[in-house]
Amino acid sequence: MKPRVYLIIFFLLIPVQASLFELISLAGIKPDLGLALVYIIGLLTGPAEAALAGLGIGLLQDIGSASVLGFSGISRGLVGLFAGLLGQRVLNISSPSNSLFLAAFCLLEGIVVTIFMQMLYGSVPIFSLIAGRVLPQAVYTGLLGLLLLQLMNNREFIVSLTRRALQKEF
Amino acid sequence: MPGFTAKHRKTIFILLLFILLFWLITLQVKKGRFSFMERPVLAVSGFFERIILWPFKTAVSVSTKYVLLVGTEQENRKLAEENERLRLETGIMSELLLENERLRDLLNFKRQQPPSSVMVQVIGRDSSAFSTTVTIDKGSASGIDKGMAVITPAGVVGRVLAVLPGTSKVMLLTDPGSTLAVRVQRNREEGLLEGKLKTCALKYVSFYADIQEGDLLVTSGLDGIYPKGLAVASVIKVAKHEASAFQTVYAEPAVRFSRLEEVLVLLK
Repeated sequence: MKPRVYLIIFFLLIPVQASLFELISLAGIKPDLGLALVYIIGLLTGPAEAALAGLGIGLLQDIGSASVLGFSGISRGLVGLFAGLLGQRVLNISSPSNSLFLAAFCLLEGIVVTIFMQMLYGSVPIFSLIAGRVLPQAVYTGLLGLLLLQLMNNREFIVSLTRRALQKEF
Repeated sequence: MPGFTAKHRKTIFILLLFILLFWLITLQVKKGRFSFMERPVLAVSGFFERIILWPFKTAVSVSTKYVLLVGTEQENRKLAEENERLRLETGIMSELLLENERLRDLLNFKRQQPPSSVMVQVIGRDSSAFSTTVTIDKGSASGIDKGMAVITPAGVVGRVLAVLPGTSKVMLLTDPGSTLAVRVQRNREEGLLEGKLKTCALKYVSFYADIQEGDLLVTSGLDGIYPKGLAVASVIKVAKHEASAFQTVYAEPAVRFSRLEEVLVLLK
């Protein structure tokens, strides 16, 4: 992606997620924009760049949410890596199955975080958290990802976002 | 070997970053989470959150003030009736307050002044499914300081985590890093309430203490952050293990965090 895209993400990701997405939250559940962006970056750029972008976005979200620094960095780095591999070998950005893959990544990340929290703090209501928060958020994020990818499904737009080295692929 | 390193330079770099983050996490597990980057990120995000929310708040304000006036007269009448009833109740309460003060004086109790407070608006909430922090629209310029208690009429919300002149971050009661001293309103049993993401857990309660589902937990005032007697949470489950000297009590916060809009910060 072009540096200006990362700059926009750096300045606007947390405010948009925290305030604008609050307006579309359903029963306190809102889609995870950061994860959806990492997934899309993975599809558009490849595993290495997406892993780095995931690390950065995750770290930014860790700081923004005052949680354990580094955990989202690692999980989102891995999501970027796998999304990049998927984009290289299996999927293209117009495929509707992206929604399912994104929801699956979100669910998996949520489950891992819940287990980590249980190990760290104990007495965490694992099943209630997964059923009541992680799963609905995964579904919502999958739908958001699908919507974003459909909006982006335009060659000129994608070319305007990506660096010259990657533009020939689109 | 140098050929291998040059070929896989990018992969090695990413791997090293992952290892660095693992090390950071283990460090925080031992020493508590790092907060050195919170203030700059809060400054940037708080600034943009205000800008992003401004058109929506303006639109909502215009629609509620001028457009949606249907049924206002009926609501007005209802509110006037309620006002009359509340005035009557306030009169009775004032009498009781005076009586209470006289009795306190007699018993030589220290008179508790109600803490001054500042009303703030919630302008942001973090993104994760385990959201445990919110951003509010006032900061040190309004007298807010780190560690101050945040409440609503329904009960305790949490405490201020980081402060900038015009914005602050509030750690909710359900955050795993949050602890506060509470007591059971019914029988005055004391304990320490810890955040467990969705619920809270009351720790260090004697195995033999009589705690039941539905009991209301209120602040004990022993932690020096929250004034005594504020509603905190209701007991939803009591777990007793024969091997332990304590019982674990699970409680649901009195405040619905997903619906937070305005809160009060208690100034010291």
